[in-house]
Amino acid sequence: MKSLTAATPEAGSTLKRNRFWIKAFQQRYLYMMSLPFVVWIFVFSYVPIWGWLTAFQNYKPKDSILDQEWVGFDNFIELFQDERFYLVLRNTLAMSTMGLLVGFTVPVIFALLLNEMKGQFFKRSVQTISYLPHFVSWVVVAGLVYKMLSTDGGAVNQLLMWLNIIDQPIQFMAKGNLFWGIVTASDLWKEVGWNSIIFLAAMAGIDPELYEASTVDGAGRFRKMWHITLPGIRTTFMVLFILSIGHLISIGFEKQFLLGNPLVSDYSEVSDLYALKYGIQMSRYSYGTAIGIVNSIVSILLVFIANGIYKRVTKETVI
Amino acid sequence: MKASKTKAASLFMIGTLLVAAGCSDRLDFDRSNSFDVPSKKDLTPVTITFASGDNNPLWDDMQSEVGKLITEKTGISIKAQFPGNDTDTDMFARMVASNEYPDMVSAKVSVGKLKDAGALIDLTPLIDAHAPNIKKLYGEYMKRLRWSNDDHGIYVLPTAPVNQTYFKAGSGFELQHAVLKELGYPQIKTVKDFEHALKTYYNKHKTTADGQPIIPLSLNGGEWQFLISVTNPAVAATGASDDGEFYIDQDTYEAKLHYLRPEEKEYFRWLNHMHDIGLLDPESFVQKVGQYRAKIASGRVLGLIDADWDFAGEVAALKKEGKIDQTYAHFPVTLNESFKRHDFQSTGYLAGIGISITKSAKDPVRIIQFLDYLASDEGQVLVNWGIEGKHYKVENGTRVIPEDISKMKFNDNWNFRKTTGVDMYRFGPSYGDGVKDPTGNYYTPVFPEQIQKEYTQEDRETLAAYKVKSYKDLWPSEKEFTVKPWGSAWTINMETGSEANIIFQQCEAIVKKRITQAILSKPEQFDAIWDDFMKELEKAGVEKLNEAYTKLVKDRVKLWNE
Repeated sequence: MKSLTAATPEAGSTLKRNRFWIKAFQQRYLYMMSLPFVVWIFVFSYVPIWGWLTAFQNYKPKDSILDQEWVGFDNFIELFQDERFYLVLRNTLAMSTMGLLVGFTVPVIFALLLNEMKGQFFKRSVQTISYLPHFVSWVVVAGLVYKMLSTDGGAVNQLLMWLNIIDQPIQFMAKGNLFWGIVTASDLWKEVGWNSIIFLAAMAGIDPELYEASTVDGAGRFRKMWHITLPGIRTTFMVLFILSIGHLISIGFEKQFLLGNPLVSDYSEVSDLYALKYGIQMSRYSYGTAIGIVNSIVSILLVFIANGIYKRVTKETVI
Repeated sequence: MKASKTKAASLFMIGTLLVAAGCSDRLDFDRSNSFDVPSKKDLTPVTITFASGDNNPLWDDMQSEVGKLITEKTGISIKAQFPGNDTDTDMFARMVASNEYPDMVSAKVSVGKLKDAGALIDLTPLIDAHAPNIKKLYGEYMKRLRWSNDDHGIYVLPTAPVNQTYFKAGSGFELQHAVLKELGYPQIKTVKDFEHALKTYYNKHKTTADGQPIIPLSLNGGEWQFLISVTNPAVAATGASDDGEFYIDQDTYEAKLHYLRPEEKEYFRWLNHMHDIGLLDPESFVQKVGQYRAKIASGRVLGLIDADWDFAGEVAALKKEGKIDQTYAHFPVTLNESFKRHDFQSTGYLAGIGISITKSAKDPVRIIQFLDYLASDEGQVLVNWGIEGKHYKVENGTRVIPEDISKMKFNDNWNFRKTTGVDMYRFGPSYGDGVKDPTGNYYTPVFPEQIQKEYTQEDRETLAAYKVKSYKDLWPSEKEFTVKPWGSAWTINMETGSEANIIFQQCEAIVKKRITQAILSKPEQFDAIWDDFMKELEKAGVEKLNEAYTKLVKDRVKLWNE
């Protein structure tokens, strides 16, 4: 009896280990396919982290990185004492939060509507037209936005005046309180088609039998959308949503740089633009690196917090 | 004009200027000392790489007529790199970060960064041994090429023309000839005169002949040209000289940010008034340069306050379309009659922005000899006039431009420059306008008789009405002012990353935001906004900045004059 009891746990653990390697072997082609991307991420995202050393130095390019003057946390102290840092942080988070909310809800709605189309030709035409702006550069889009919103023959002002809603053109690009909205709307226009593709693909993957079964149970079109289509893409949505939260602070600065001007600078300066202007452009590489580190830490925290909340609420996890 | 273009670009980037007082690189010095003096010039074909801080969409890869001749004479061909859609500071910042440089650079305001990174070689021994024409060209001003009081090495050969006489009045306030003609060529001396002319014409004309809405006055205020079109005119209209963002007291050499002058507040109050009565284009501070220029090219803008190099392309477009009456006359407008325009106050020789040779150059001797050829009498005439018999002729000992070449030059200037190469190679040392060569002719084609030849019929009528031969005659002469011993302050560098530099950057951001707000606000709010502006500058540390800059000005006076 004793010997039988003693043997059981040992055999169990051996079995578990064997099962993992068997599974890994069976999935070896999947691992090989993903290997280049893992290597790519490692080389371009993890290897350069040694450069963070410069944030603790007063870095000058003429000397080797190990021959620099060490300054401890001076760059971080200066950063947190600069009131502009908090302004650009506010702007960055505000615009990216707006972009996140709009950038996830509208593509889903758009994909949902497209998914309900029966006519394939119309559906494909709309889809193709809607994702083309994704391939146009922000330089061109910014030019279009300026022309549309201009007081000098701009389409928006012409329309509003024609409808007698206003009697003088509104200078949209000069109003700071509208800047975040303009950026969000133009980014939405540019990316909604492209972002909806993945949701359309997820919807196409839902088992048609679920819809047939619900028909038998008397569900109409909207109930099907609400109870079958949306729950069906929830996993895809949440994965993308949570990972996007990690990008809240590193949205780049192209949109803000091209659409901004002196009148709206209190609203248009973002953290990457701040790092460029007060770091690299002033040869203050260490300070710029410190800004980058702070951004990275905030991003990581945001992802883990978001994933933690999701896990607590749904018992599922993304990471 | 090249000098103005260089000046303008510098103004924008003044916040990132820097100076390092490091020792000369011993290796470079040793290498320089070891050069042998060749008995005759080496003409072996060599390609050198060159990065220019100024974009040049017309760059011809030395395939133009002049370019080919230069290659034939020197053996040198150039592979050039330009910022493109980038900014020059970003381009050079990446070079510093990677520690990789082309052979030759025109780094403009980034030169201090390259110097600080040890990228530039000291040119003093090269000039002494291999560049007699360069030495002759700079002459007594050679000491102005020294880097600093602590480092007398020469790292930049300035492109500012030597002994320049300014015959053209390219800045000031501009009005369309059509406006002047209709109003009977009124006196245009003060901002009130300017305003009155615009108002009177605009009351009668709301659209152009093409049916497009007329804009009385538009400023180029949406990008870095804000400095040229919005803030520099405040300095000029209130009787001060152009020292970039600073005003320098002539007697004490004390520097201060020029916005602190009470006279300038009144200039901006006038702009506020212009906006209030609907004469100032409300898009002035939002429009990008492309939009601004499109308005000018359509002939809709009656008045400008800008430098002519900033809208020269658009004026050329108007001429090409035959809309000569929609091109512009220039006036030395002041805030009121108590002020006198100092545009032509002499700076002596304005060393500063120029061309450098980097440590990457394999054969610096060949490069300095190349630049020395361009600085020779033959080279100067070639780059400025072109090829004799082709682009100009010598008649009775006088250089003249044939009528057909002259027409092509002024009506189709871009194509002219691209195919001929004239004006393409002025990136090294050069003689200024008005300087004569040993034959008694001018080195450059900019001299009084030639300028008058270039005027359109509308220009002639306007000038005749004001009883002058050129627009410059409307301005006070340089003889009325003393020479500025510091040159011009926009060429003085602040040390990168220094406290003063950081404060300056902060002040520039405040200036841009607050002045724009002040101009676009209701008149009754102007004073409150201006007071807030002054308080913000104080809070940002403008007093420290002024103090630090004063020291730099005094150092400059010492370096250039002792």
